[in-house]
Amino acid sequence: MSRETTQGTGANPAFYALMVVLVIMAMGPIMLMITTSLKLNVDVMSDSARLLFMPTMQNYETVLCDVLWYDPAHVDYCDPTFGRALKNSLIIALVSTAITLILGTMAAYALVRFRFFGRGTISMTTLMMRMVPPAVLLVPVFGIWTFNFGLDGTYSGIILVYVAMNLPFVIWILQSFIVQVPIQLEEAARMDGAGPFQVFFLVVIPLIKPGLAAAAIFTFRIAWNEFLLANALLDRNTRTVPVTIVNSLTEYDIDWGVIMATGSLLAIPPIIFTFVASKQIITGMTAGAVKG
Amino acid sequence: MPKIRLDKLVKRYGSLEVIHGIDLTTEDNEFTVLVGPSGCGKSTTLRMIAGLETVSGGEIYIDERPVSKLEPKDRDIAMVFQDYALYPHMNVAKNMSFALRLEKRPRKEIQHKVGEVAEMLGLEKLLDRKPAELSGGQRQRVAMGRALTRDASTFLFDEPLSNLDAKLRGQMRAELALMSQQVQKSMVYVTHDQVEAMTLGQRIVVMQDGHIRQQGTAEELFKRPNSRFVAGFIGSPPMNFLDGQITRRGDVAFIEGEGFKLSLPVELAQRALKHPRDTVALGVRPSDLVPAEAGSSDALLLKVLVSEYIGAQSILLTECGPHKVSVEMNSSAPVALGQPLHCSVQKDGMHLFDSETGLSI
Repeated sequence: MSRETTQGTGANPAFYALMVVLVIMAMGPIMLMITTSLKLNVDVMSDSARLLFMPTMQNYETVLCDVLWYDPAHVDYCDPTFGRALKNSLIIALVSTAITLILGTMAAYALVRFRFFGRGTISMTTLMMRMVPPAVLLVPVFGIWTFNFGLDGTYSGIILVYVAMNLPFVIWILQSFIVQVPIQLEEAARMDGAGPFQVFFLVVIPLIKPGLAAAAIFTFRIAWNEFLLANALLDRNTRTVPVTIVNSLTEYDIDWGVIMATGSLLAIPPIIFTFVASKQIITGMTAGAVKG
Repeated sequence: MPKIRLDKLVKRYGSLEVIHGIDLTTEDNEFTVLVGPSGCGKSTTLRMIAGLETVSGGEIYIDERPVSKLEPKDRDIAMVFQDYALYPHMNVAKNMSFALRLEKRPRKEIQHKVGEVAEMLGLEKLLDRKPAELSGGQRQRVAMGRALTRDASTFLFDEPLSNLDAKLRGQMRAELALMSQQVQKSMVYVTHDQVEAMTLGQRIVVMQDGHIRQQGTAEELFKRPNSRFVAGFIGSPPMNFLDGQITRRGDVAFIEGEGFKLSLPVELAQRALKHPRDTVALGVRPSDLVPAEAGSSDALLLKVLVSEYIGAQSILLTECGPHKVSVEMNSSAPVALGQPLHCSVQKDGMHLFDSETGLSI
């Protein structure tokens, strides 16, 4: 490192102070969650020796008792709720992400490339959906889903809501990526004998992979973390993990250790998903296609 | 048998008509060049032949088969685009074999064909590279390779060399000429560069404002332009034009304008005298002006303003009354700036154009 570059950012102590504050703000809650998940309830509640405790995997064992290959000694009754909720969360998040991407890509492509009546208006208003807070939609959606369609408590019901919620933003993101695909590439593909779908899947889709990855991360995380609608629309058997966590706060007993362990486990799939998807986010996908 | 025949082809964008019913016939294995200034409709015409633009009127025949309603893939044509349009996510081999893979040809055949074309274009060592890792010239070659692997009966080129630098353009132009001799296919080539048109084209079609102005071989267009537009467009440096009037004194006809008076050759004089209008423009190519003896009566008196040395030849920018006249001269001839220079016009070097219609007389 040359001297100038280190001086540029390192000279001011206030800069470091700010960084430390930001790091504490960002990492503090996560550290607290992880440490709490490793404590017994006795340690969680005790006022003394907060930083000194015997780490234990008991909370994780309690949460995962359903999927573990052995029976943890301290668990009297194995509650299958978490295993079930995790499965529900995965199914709902993955399926809604997949459907959103498929519909979103095609809609975005149509909005960018086809000329039809009302195209500008549709393009402009897709984002309007995002402006409505989900809490406002909750009551009407609950009413319609329950009394008209009988979709309450089903996977399809919640997936439908998530797709509708995320589609506008995904269309909006992907539009900006599709615009960047040079039209000459599509013309060249047509000259090479490709039909409309071959042009779309063999030329356009590979070139907007970064956009698809960004949209996938976005959609997956919203579907994974969403609480309000999931709480209202899902039942005992289809509940997702965030709802399950809140439901375990009861009047008589709050098992903080188990809740934090569940929370820590909840964070893992989106991290993995984001890592995998972000590998696709590379810039300059269309480099070399046409003269700039 | 004509290869491509355009029959009163029309293109409209809304109420704006950009191609006004053009007729054109090209022969089998002919290298046809559409040339004209920007916005003359040459690229639109090519794109209509390709099937990338809809036809608003008239018909396109390829091998006497009407194709204007067909998809591009059903017209048996391949096209090279101005800005290459290579698929950036595929390597060179995949780019070149894209069409064959779409047709689901056997892998052996695809490999063989790609290898053959790559060898012809000198791309063997680049087959695994992505377009982003290639230079401009290499990309252009891959774009041509992609068209060549197709085995289409007609090739379309949309200004393929205009993105290359001057030196590379000259080199690629020569390669293209060589390639067209080797593959023996019908080619339609669009360019705004008249040098490219003259060097490559067997049939050159000059377009302006959505009309075909003249077509023929390079020599025909250069020696016998049918209008002032074609005369000024073909040839470099461009033809000089001097406005004047036809006058007659005895048996000899003259063209007389501000600062000059030249006698017309007999044949031209006959045509000029029959022409209903007296006001004409005299066209003389810079290469048709030769130094004359001082005091010669039948010569232009020019004042040299600038001398551009370009090697064996020099281009002199001179003044003749209100007219600017460029003269192409051997560089060894002594020329002094600001000095008068007498130049006479070589035999057959005079062209007359009607001052209103611009048509050749």
